Amino acid sequence: MRKITLFLLLLGLALAASPMQDRLEQTIKSGGEKFAKDLLTRDEGQAICSQYRDKLPAVQVQGFLDKQRALIKYPADNKLIGDWKEGEKIFTAAARGNCYACHTADPKEAAAGNVGPSLTGYGARGNSDPIVKYTYEKIYNAWAYSPCSTMYRAGVHGILKPEEVANVVAFLIDPASPVNKK
Amino acid sequence: MRSSRVWLVIAALVGATLLALAQQAPSPEEEVARQKKLILEQSGILPGELYAAQGEDLFKKKRGPNNVSLEGCDFGLGAGKTEGAYAELPRYFADTNRVEDLDTRIVTCMVSLQGFKAADIKRSDVVAIAAYVASKSNGRPVKVRLDDVKEVAVYAMGKQLWYTRAGAQDFSCAVCHETNGGKRIRLQRLALVQADKVASHWPAYRFSNDQLWTMEDRIRGCYKQTRVTEPNYYSDAIIALSLYMSVAANGADVDAPGFVR
Ligand code: HEC
Ligand code: HEC
Repeated sequence: MRKITLFLLLLGLALAASPMQDRLEQTIKSGGEKFAKDLLTRDEGQAICSQYRDKLPAVQVQGFLDKQRALIKYPADNKLIGDWKEGEKIFTAAARGNCYACHTADPKEAAAGNVGPSLTGYGARGNSDPIVKYTYEKIYNAWAYSPCSTMYRAGVHGILKPEEVANVVAFLIDPASPVNKK
Repeated sequence: MRSSRVWLVIAALVGATLLALAQQAPSPEEEVARQKKLILEQSGILPGELYAAQGEDLFKKKRGPNNVSLEGCDFGLGAGKTEGAYAELPRYFADTNRVEDLDTRIVTCMVSLQGFKAADIKRSDVVAIAAYVASKSNGRPVKVRLDDVKEVAVYAMGKQLWYTRAGAQDFSCAVCHETNGGKRIRLQRLALVQADKVASHWPAYRFSNDQLWTMEDRIRGCYKQTRVTEPNYYSDAIIALSLYMSVAANGADVDAPGFVR
């Protein structure tokens, strides 16, 4: 009896879910081929975040984080701190990192947004292995630390190559970087 | 005692610095007000009103293969009735069996009444006419209902699209206009689209690019800036998002064309 109820419940869910999905797909396709391609080729992480409106049920969090972590790639030489001057260019350029859209960093850059936390003085955390690794992974894939965060996954999407992420890490951590100048 | 006085001095200094900073960079709201005043002083009229006047001409002129005006167009309150019609759009129309927003309804009438071919319709004409028709609802509260099943369904699609994260920057409308609404991305304030009921001031004149935009243009612009290809004009995808945001704006007085950055 219990089994039948469960079966009916699942069947109901499946029936309710699929016309909704079909209709959404049709609606998206009305926007044109390219729009549909951009919206329907979402990766698994995007699909899950969309479904739960960025608030994952607690039981799903660990699995989500593990899958996101598995997407992170590292530089061939495994050097996670690169050249801060190159990193600054990437951090600043709108078509590259575009990090100032959301973060303050070099205190001289006034046109910085406040969607994310301030990164000014980030180097005060030091350059121990765990700090460097966290910073690298956070920038490569922000969702490996906070599911469905506002921060986009620069490495996962190939916007920044591993070596470029390492350069941005240097911009945040190197004591000579303007981020860390008093 | 001594230390409390030191704290007072520090507090005063910090306060003065914050004030100076605030004065240096006008808030986005102040900047909009300043630009509006400037334009009014220079030309005595807001550009949005010029677009609406141009739209009125286009609306009343006999045009198209059938050589008739748009005065017989039904925007939902009956043929020829424009007063207050925009406040209730988007809505379901039985003649096309479709939920249509203002832009789409104008195109429908240009095709069915005036005999234009859809492909020949100039976007700039639709925008000007939209400015005019929308202005005929000024001062009336937005009152978009979900009465018809089609309206309910399209609204549900709009809500899904609102939360859909896509593209290389993992954005959704909600990320910028709900989760982070009120914050600044670079120097631009992110509108809290639902809470601020912004749909009530669209179509709007944008002083940053000197153009009149309808909600369709605004939605396409936001997709584009997040590097997602814009959906086609007059598509169900755009209409769904527009319906979703219009329902959120219910109760706010229409003020169109608005004046925005
Ligand atoms: C669209 C907004 C946005 C953009 C663009 C963005 N971030 Fe973030 N970032 C955030 C938010 C929000 C957080 C806090 C939530 C979280 O941890 O994901 C954050 C967190 C971080 C953190 C962790 C801070 C801490 O205290 O541990 C680092 C480091 C960081 N961002 C670096 C970057 C870099 C480098 C870039 C550009 C390549 C960037 N961000 C682009 C929004 C953004
Ligand atoms: C990366 C951030 C971002 C995303 C994602 C985004 N927008 Fe926007 N949106 C903005 C900015 C910035 C402005 C203000 C533009 C300006 O100042 O010119 C804006 C303006 C708007 C406005 C006008 C607000 C007002 O005050 O009248 C509407 C409506 C809007 N967006 C809807 C959307 C919709 C719908 C989506 C999703 C399809 C979306 N936005 C996605 C950043 C974003």
